[in-house]
Amino acid sequence: MEERDTLLIVDDVKINRELLKDIFEDGEYKILEASNGEEAIELLDAHKDEIALLFLDLVMPKKNGLDVMHHMSLNNMIDTIPVIMITGEATVESDVKTYELGAADIIYKPFEPAVVTRRAKNIIELYQHRISIENELELRTQELFESKRQIEQNNRFLINALASVVEFRSLESGEHIQRVKKFTDIMLRHWRALYGEKQFSDEQIELIVDASALHDIGKIAIPDKILLKPERFNDEEYEEMKKHTIYGCKMLEKFKQEENEFYNYCYDICRYHHERYDGRGYPDGLSGDNIPVWAQIVSIVDVYDALVSRRVYKDSFSMEETFRMINDGECGVFSPKLLKCFNDARDDLISNTTKEQMGEEE
Amino acid sequence: MIREFYEKINGDYEVAISRMQNDERIKKYLGFFLADESYNQLENAMNNEDCDAAFIGAHTLKGVCQNMAFTELSRVAEQITEELRSKEFDKAKETFPKVKIEYKRVIEEIKNVL
Repeated sequence: MEERDTLLIVDDVKINRELLKDIFEDGEYKILEASNGEEAIELLDAHKDEIALLFLDLVMPKKNGLDVMHHMSLNNMIDTIPVIMITGEATVESDVKTYELGAADIIYKPFEPAVVTRRAKNIIELYQHRISIENELELRTQELFESKRQIEQNNRFLINALASVVEFRSLESGEHIQRVKKFTDIMLRHWRALYGEKQFSDEQIELIVDASALHDIGKIAIPDKILLKPERFNDEEYEEMKKHTIYGCKMLEKFKQEENEFYNYCYDICRYHHERYDGRGYPDGLSGDNIPVWAQIVSIVDVYDALVSRRVYKDSFSMEETFRMINDGECGVFSPKLLKCFNDARDDLISNTTKEQMGEEE
Repeated sequence: MIREFYEKINGDYEVAISRMQNDERIKKYLGFFLADESYNQLENAMNNEDCDAAFIGAHTLKGVCQNMAFTELSRVAEQITEELRSKEFDKAKETFPKVKIEYKRVIEEIKNVL
């Protein structure tokens, strides 16, 4: 930014303006003069980025000093252009009022040149210093914001890459995870709308949605002959398959982060996304509200996506049938609160479920 | 010469010279003072019994006189300013002749030195 190099002197009395001009005759500053408030406002508007300091008389014809200050407040000049009020008499009330209006300082007539120059210099330096600090801060804040955004973007990329490893291995399209994320997001927003603002903040929703991508990460530890088996599992195979919840947690525990919100969401979702409200889920048989809400949400979303998607071993179910089966507890029991939210989100879920996914185009 | 002028009008030459640096510059300001309208504003407003306008004129005159170090004139200008500020117009009417006498004296003496 250009250095401000101009003084604006506003006083209706020529002698007073001339005295101030003579005080600053060394040429360090360009001088502008106005003999009333109206002229002052015109000059301020035209030179607002050049004026380093404004000397302002209070009592003037055609808009007085207060009108000028008011104009400056309205046009965001009061923080960048310091005002030194020129006044004939010092009373506590008028001084306080002047400062309240945003004046940087007051000088009293008659002017003492040494005092006026010193004060003016101090105030100009103070304001320019403050402005440059504020600019610097603004710049730093932007940089910080940009690097935070970059880190978030990188994180999301890594989470998605990690999550899709499992999908690639199980020869799925890779879109299940993206859909689970989308449906989880929809459910969380409906949950918030139904049950209050306290849960969940926008930041929490973002974290939980990211964590939902990792719900099946433990499947990486399931042997190919089970994971890739197109036929129905026998009991032994099913028991092994169930362990993907535990395997996922074991992997996460290796990188455990104490008191980390994101870690906790990942862990809960990996471990509990097959638990059921009546305690008949796995691996721990948790029941009721012992299952964290985020894990409950991912569990219903996971079931929903499985039902409406066409798989090697099954056709997709219709929307009508899907909602009926879930509400009737045919895929395990969900909490009434969760089902209410699920039905509330029905239209949103359906509109984000593609025909392609349901296999209707083939 | 300027020092004598200040003595004649009961002003403070030391203050004036410290503020305006040299006699030449004081003369420049004496010229501005001749052209200053604040006394005329005060006089007209007093004639029209316009207390508010008189206050502005007196207030300005006081400020100018203080800057010029016209001690006596600024003293009476301050007195009438305060009377007008508190709307004591009758008192101000009594004070005004003193202001007028002092002002005329200063103007006469300025004309002598310029």
